[in-house]
Amino acid sequence: MTETAASAPKTVARRPARRRRASAARLIVYPALGVLALLVFFAVFADWITPYDPLKQSLMEALQGPSMHHWLGTDDLGRDVLSRLIVGCRIAIIAAAEATSIAILLGVPLGLFVGYRGGWWDWSVMRLVEAIMSIPGIMVAIVIIAILGPGLHRAMIALGILFSTSFLRLARGVVLSEREEVYVRSARVVGTGDARILIRHIFPNVAPPLIVQATLTVGAVLLAEAGLSFIGIGVQPPNASWGTMLNTAASYMQLDWFLAIPPGVALVLTVLSINLLGDVLRDRIGRGIAVPAARPKAPKRPPKTAPAAGAPGRRPSPVPAPDAVLDVAGLDVVVTAGAGDEVPVLSDLGFSVRKGETLGLVGESGSGKTITGLAILRLIGTTGRITRGRITLNGRDISDLSERQMREVRGKEIAVVFQDPTTSLNPAFTVGEQIAEILRTRAGLSRRAAMARAVELIGRVGIPNPAERARAYPHELSGGMAQRIAIARALSCNPSVLIADEPTTALDVTVQQEILDLFRDLQEEFGMAIIFVTHDLAVAADICDRIAVMYAGEIVEEAPVDTLFSAPRHPYTAGLLAASPHGATRNPPLPTIPGTVPRPGAWPEGCRFAPRCPHAAPACDAAIPLGDGGHRVRCIRADTLDLRRSA
Amino acid sequence: MLRLIVQRVLALVPLLFLVSVLTFSFTSLLPGDPADLIVGQQGTPEQYALVRHRLGLDQPLVERYAHWVEHAARGDLGTSFFNSVKVSDAVMQRLPVTASLTAVAALIAIAVGLAAGIAAALRPGSAVDRIATLGATFGQAIPNFWFGLLLAAIFAVGLRWFPATGFTPISTSVGGWLASVALPAIALGFASSAAIARQVRSAMVGVLQQDYIRAARAQGLSSRRVIFRHALKNALVPVVAVLSFQITVLLGGALIVEQVFAINGLGTLAITAVRQQDIPMIQGIVLVMVAIVVVVQLATDLLYGFLNPKARPS
Ligand code: SF4
Repeated sequence: MTETAASAPKTVARRPARRRRASAARLIVYPALGVLALLVFFAVFADWITPYDPLKQSLMEALQGPSMHHWLGTDDLGRDVLSRLIVGCRIAIIAAAEATSIAILLGVPLGLFVGYRGGWWDWSVMRLVEAIMSIPGIMVAIVIIAILGPGLHRAMIALGILFSTSFLRLARGVVLSEREEVYVRSARVVGTGDARILIRHIFPNVAPPLIVQATLTVGAVLLAEAGLSFIGIGVQPPNASWGTMLNTAASYMQLDWFLAIPPGVALVLTVLSINLLGDVLRDRIGRGIAVPAARPKAPKRPPKTAPAAGAPGRRPSPVPAPDAVLDVAGLDVVVTAGAGDEVPVLSDLGFSVRKGETLGLVGESGSGKTITGLAILRLIGTTGRITRGRITLNGRDISDLSERQMREVRGKEIAVVFQDPTTSLNPAFTVGEQIAEILRTRAGLSRRAAMARAVELIGRVGIPNPAERARAYPHELSGGMAQRIAIARALSCNPSVLIADEPTTALDVTVQQEILDLFRDLQEEFGMAIIFVTHDLAVAADICDRIAVMYAGEIVEEAPVDTLFSAPRHPYTAGLLAASPHGATRNPPLPTIPGTVPRPGAWPEGCRFAPRCPHAAPACDAAIPLGDGGHRVRCIRADTLDLRRSA
Repeated sequence: MLRLIVQRVLALVPLLFLVSVLTFSFTSLLPGDPADLIVGQQGTPEQYALVRHRLGLDQPLVERYAHWVEHAARGDLGTSFFNSVKVSDAVMQRLPVTASLTAVAALIAIAVGLAAGIAAALRPGSAVDRIATLGATFGQAIPNFWFGLLLAAIFAVGLRWFPATGFTPISTSVGGWLASVALPAIALGFASSAAIARQVRSAMVGVLQQDYIRAARAQGLSSRRVIFRHALKNALVPVVAVLSFQITVLLGGALIVEQVFAINGLGTLAITAVRQQDIPMIQGIVLVMVAIVVVVQLATDLLYGFLNPKARPS
């Protein structure tokens, strides 16, 4: 699991988009089906509805524009364009049906067979397919037509052979993935024949993608048929197909450009409709065919839990502690969810860190730890927004800096180490380049100096052979090694604050301790303040000076690490401690207090922990302020409860 | 890198071999006897036998193939059945035409596809995105030759900005070449640019959500740097994987688009050869096209290896 608060609103945001797509799909499906229905109608009833004989020439009336008599005009031989267009519908359907069925009948059985048999058969047929596919499709068709001769049916055989390769690959792919499935194996054990297995067990799995592929093939066939007829080796004159009509149009372009319009529009509309249907089908089948069932409604705008300024529960932000490197006060952050509703994800957040100090942000998934770090750097995307609060960095308020000024802060003054080093390093560049790039663009070093410094940093984070390792790509390094690189990159500009977001969670247990030691060493050397985000109290106890416990977007308790562990005052902290005894194994991390953190937008009005709190009382229904002093707690009953662990 | 090149080149040898066998055996299946066509109705059996011998048709198929490959390797693709033109000469004369049309179309497709795909990916759901998606949908439904007809009608016949037909070699006049190749290349490249834009968009949207992009921003790198360096290099990996296929498609499409603009390229040569059942000519054209495809494939493979370190042999 990566993050928490940030990912929750994201899923919310995705939902209505999908709904919008579903209704857009309907908007597409009906017109597309309408076009195709019209096509079929014209094809079937062509003989009755064509106003003229499509082959009847009348040289007196050649190349006329649209008129009352000839709605779409006449061609070079005086034939009625509308009538030819309607007959063309029939040709198009015959062509599509012929070529697509040939392609399926040829490709699917062959693909099933070679996929199932495997071995030599599979190898040689696939090489053959590859060879065919390396020749431009139209050239393959041309060669086959050279053998068979031109004409509609022969050209469609050619296209059928050509397109069979895609069905072959599709069927083969499905067989390969299904062949070893348990049910097929069990079928074989009970002595079912091969043919029976293929037909009964495997073929049904081919069917859904087959339908999609067939739809897309129909579109491709129509275009290819038109192309072949256009260059004169498909349908032969005087027969009317859209392709031959376009061929005529090309010859008379200078005299009557309108000739190109009707067959072209008919062709494009048809292919467009089929492709759009194919897309919709693919979406549906890709998602498991089932239309998504009734979804829980997107959360409505929540009851305003975060009181406005001056409301009870919120004191005017105090002046930042004079020796604080970073001070956050009264921070409110909202994220725009699906329907444009803004859901609060952090409220009244306040803490400060001093030089050389490590502050732990601790809490379960969904408590808002990670988004806190991102909000400080203003990396909460276009959907996230800070609505209130002040962030003071080295005495300067950075909460209203422009994006440009903020960029100056990132990396140089506040840097981040993310949870998973294998995903937070760019796979396309060597690790040395990635560190050197920061030094070049941010610290203004020359290419050479940057590389030299990068190597130095890589050595500093405890990687042997730094010069050689600098040339490695992230995938060539172990997780622990990669995280050291990420740390080196974060420290490259000597930031005064380092945000470490679960930096040991993705790592092997044995490596975790080494990385924690590294953080301690580096802090001693560089003197930066560290905000250490973790869900693991044992880790926090190990490295932090102070700990702020977060729950549902707010801090519920904050105290020096020893005080917090020996005398927790918030029931949630006590619950966490009970679930993760100090010094005991970290596995499983937080087997926990019953229930889960409420999602943003679903926070209770009063104490957000109340639904899970064993000590909840009626008084807990009101918004509760965070106390003052060195040990702050957000619990109305904190003074009356004794939560000290008996152990 | 050298290792990668050698590895890829070796992998292509069997492909070329197979295609040559395929082409040869396929074209030898041609019904009707070319000798019949050449000698005609009045020919005597002696004449007929002579022609067959001259064409090598009296040899066993395997021997004919060996003979053909042996000569093809030396650049000799045989002689046309219908005139004494050497196939290699005819093909080489037309190749620059088709190749330059394909190359310009590919450049247009890549440039437009990249620009539209990136723009759409940066603001999903925006107007740019919707226009790009719409363009991609239409791009796949509009046949290149019809699009070419429309372009010719508007810009050549109507506005007279470009010549409607013909081809000016680049050696004659660069400007003339560009003018003659512009409309056909746009017509040809449109569909591919749509396909590439689709690929770029989906790849880019995926990459932009990656942790390393967030990490790059967290280091204070500029948006431009993050998008065009960190994101694009990764997003191009799946795009390059389909690029050689797109170029193959363009090469085939060129054969048809050439007809719209009456350009004398490989397309016209192939169509004539098909009508005359001119076996050596067809064989030669196919082989040359496959050779181009193979070279393109090699180039994209190398590009793929450059972009994706995981694909390099270590
Ligand atoms: S305020 Fe009440 S519900 Fe909340 S933690 Fe304290 S006792 Fe529990």
